[in-house]
Order: sequence, then structure tokens, then C-alpha cells
Amino acid sequence: MLKLNPKLSQKISYSVLLFATILAIIPVSVIVFIIIKNGASAITWEFLTAMPKDGMRGGGIFPAIIGTLSIVLCAIAVTLPIGVCAAIYLNEYAKDNLLTRIIKLAIVNLAGVPSVVYGLFGLGIFVMFLKLGVSIIAGALTLSIMELPVIITTARGALNSVPYSFREASLSLGVSRWQTIRHVVLPNALPGILTGAILSIARISGETAPIMFTAAAFYVPHLPKSAFDQVMALPYHLYIISTQIPNMPKNIIFGTALVLLMMVLSMSLFAIIARIYFRKRRKW
Amino acid sequence: MDKIKVEDLNCFYGGQRVLESLNINVIKNEILTIIGPANSGKTTFLRTLNRMNDLDANYSRKGSVFLDEDNIFHMNMEKLRRRVGMLFAMPIPLPMTIYENIVYAPKRLGIANKKSDQDAVVEQALKDASLWNEVKDRLDSSAMKLSGGQQQRLCIARILAINPEVILFDEPSSGLDPISTAKVEESMIELKKKYTIVLVTNNVKQASRVGDRTAFFLMGKLIEIDKTGTMFVSPKQKQTEDYITGRFG
Repeated sequence: MLKLNPKLSQKISYSVLLFATILAIIPVSVIVFIIIKNGASAITWEFLTAMPKDGMRGGGIFPAIIGTLSIVLCAIAVTLPIGVCAAIYLNEYAKDNLLTRIIKLAIVNLAGVPSVVYGLFGLGIFVMFLKLGVSIIAGALTLSIMELPVIITTARGALNSVPYSFREASLSLGVSRWQTIRHVVLPNALPGILTGAILSIARISGETAPIMFTAAAFYVPHLPKSAFDQVMALPYHLYIISTQIPNMPKNIIFGTALVLLMMVLSMSLFAIIARIYFRKRRKW
Repeated sequence: MDKIKVEDLNCFYGGQRVLESLNINVIKNEILTIIGPANSGKTTFLRTLNRMNDLDANYSRKGSVFLDEDNIFHMNMEKLRRRVGMLFAMPIPLPMTIYENIVYAPKRLGIANKKSDQDAVVEQALKDASLWNEVKDRLDSSAMKLSGGQQQRLCIARILAINPEVILFDEPSSGLDPISTAKVEESMIELKKKYTIVLVTNNVKQASRVGDRTAFFLMGKLIEIDKTGTMFVSPKQKQTEDYITGRFG
């Protein structure tokens, strides 16, 4: 067998590991570079704040930005409380029995369902069966179900990161279980829960398939007036202008992609900053 | 007078018996120390007295334990733990300020709702745990910043703030230096005027220093219990003698 001297094998393994790491950065940088290069010229104040015109070949993408924001915020407002409550139940109360195991299995499987299936599910349940119509609320509910397993999993992780001894110390003083969760566990798990929530927001902002049948419209000439209105949404708008409309100026397509990317990235950045801030504040 | 009376207590982890038909009593205002090698069931016994073990799904028990007249297994757990406080082996301050650590339980239990009451509780508890002079000027700093010995005394103060009847000490000085240990022992002797104390310790010398009576556990069985003075001078059982003189364990 070939025997390498330790110095050489160290160098080789170092290079391989470094190369793998660089490979991970390249696609991100190339995507960002291409999008900025082609799209930056489209970004103007009008582009961000005006309605589309000339069959979307001109004007702005304001309704799509508003549509995405309202769908995503509604979705997170629904999914965050439910997800956190479920996580508290699973982590703090549930005994390890058949029911709990089935629930955990269901959550894992829920996370593995393709997003287009959620879209069809939302169409069947929310749009048609519950007669919500194609609307912000139907899209938000669809996204919230899709995001539930992620929220539950991250919230459980955050709850788990609070040392068990804190619970013991609190319980040993005669404080009830719920009070212990409320006053010791939750405050210390909050940073992790919030980070998970923000990353979820970033993720669902870019989803197309689940809102395609449930919330998004090809073109709406006005802004939504209530949660039961159809809206335009950035990812769906991007899909339309890049495939369905002939003679679309390239810089508007890339400009739209750039806006979507910036929205997602800035939310991730916000999550990272929040995490750093909370880590520093942590007292153990 | 018996404060705690244990009748035919058996404890199990999984299927395994870790305490076997235990009969033991704790007299009011005494320090009962429990010694024995690892895996002798000392800590299991202690954590049965305030039912901390009940949180563990693998744990089960038979028999009864009476606190005064009440069977603790029929009691509401929160009420029991209010009467039977516990100090853990490692100090566990909660991640909040010194002040908040002390008022944490009184607030939740509705003992001290007004700010003036809370101030009084904090001062009294810290004085009783002989920590007041060291921390009175920094009550608003994090309890995590205290030294190990101070943290352990803070935990004592936290227990005193809910004014229990019995305090359980689970090897409270295993992580402490000799000076901090001496301070904790001093406060124990001071505390027995008001409270009944059960002390589990790995340190045989500590048992001889602070115990009124000492019980020797081995492999889940109570081998011998006697006045500490008697036990350390003339143990009745050969196993006790071997353990105290350091021949095993």
C-alpha cells in the first residue's frame, strides 16, 4: 500500500477540505453576481413603488412585493404560535409512547412532502372545500402548514438547548411545570425560536408552488384590500415574466429576482444578527 | 419526634431494584447524614423524598413515606416540594440576577407579591445563607458570575426564601474547595435550628463533622443507622467499619 509521509498527507487532506468549502461558496457568489450584473440597472424608485404597466414590461413590481409580504406575514402569524405550542408539548410534556412517536413521525414526513403537493392540498382544502377562494389567507394557510414541521423542529432544538438542570432547580422549589416553562425555559429558548422563525420567513418568501394555486394572481391592477383578495407575489411574478410574456426586457426579470433575493438575504442577515445579539446576552 | 418516616420503600430504575425495603426515620431538627459508596441508592433515596425522581419515566417505587402525618406520594408535588427543599450537587443558579434568583419561587408561589416584601425576603434569605455581606451591593448582577461556593450558598438562600420544613442536601460540596465547603457546613449546622436536614455525602469526614445521626447505605440497602459519634467509634457492622475506615468505597 502506498504510504504517504504525514506532512504530505496533511497537506493533501487540508487542500481537499478547503476545496470542498470553496465549492460551496462559488454557486452563491456566481448567482448573486449574475443577478446583480443583469438586474441592478432595473432597480429604481419607480420599479419598487409603482404598479406594472405595458403588460408588465414596464412600471414597477410594488403589488408583488406587498403581496409576498402579506402572504408571508400571515403565514408566520399562524404557524409560529401553533408550532411553538406543539414543540413545548412534545419537548416538555409528552411521554415517550406510541402516540408521541406517531406525531414525531408525522412531523418528519410532513417536512419531506414536495412543495407542489402542499399547493394542491391548499387548493383542495382551503380554496375549494373551505371556500376561501384564491386569496392571501388560503396561500398563507398553505404555507403555514408547509412550514409547521420546520418551526416545530427548530423550536424543539431551542427548548432542548436550555439545560435540564434549570428545570430541575425550578421544579425543586415547588414551582409548577407550566410556570417553569413560562419563566425559565421559554425566555431562554426565545432567541433560538426567533431565529428559526426568521429563517422560515426567508424560506417561504421564495416559494412558488404552494401559492401558485392558492394565492397568487397573474396580474391584479390594484393592491389587496382584505385577506380574502388575490394578490401578486414576487416568486410567481418572476415565473410569469420569465416564461409567459414575450419580449420581456431582461433587466426587469433580473431586477425582480434581485429584489426577491435581497428580501430573503436581508431576512437571513437579520436572523444572524439577532442570534449574535441574543448569544451575547445569554447568561450561562 | 419523627419528621419523616419511611416504611418499606422499594425503588426501581427500569426493572432494576436500587433501593430495597427501606425503613428509616428522620427526626425533627436533626442532620441525618447518609453515606455509602457509589450506586448504594443514597441519591435515589434523597430524590424520592421530594419526588424529583417522579420526573423520570424509568423510575417506579413501592412503599410509603410520611412527612409528619401525610403520605408524600398522595400529596400534590408542588406542595410537597415547597415543604421539602433540595440542594443539588452542582450549584444551579437560574440564568437571572441574584435578586431574581431569590424571589423567583416566592413570586410564583404567591408568597411575596409586593416589592417591599420581596426586598425583605431577599435580605433575610441571603443573611441566613451568610451571603448577604458579599453580594448586597450587586444584587442586580448575574448569579452566574458568582464563584462556585457563593452560587451554592445562593441556592441555599433560594430554598430558605420559600421557608420549607425539610432541606435535602445532595453532596452539596462535591464541587467546592475546602473553604467553601466549611462555609456550607457551617450554614447547615446553623440551619438545623429551624429546619430538618438530610445530607447525602461522599465525604465520610463531612458526615462525622455535621451529622447528628448517620446512616450507611450499601447496594440499595440500609446497613446501619446510629448516632454519628457511636457509629464512627464503634460501628456494629463489619461493612460499616470497612467503609468508614476507607477499606473500600
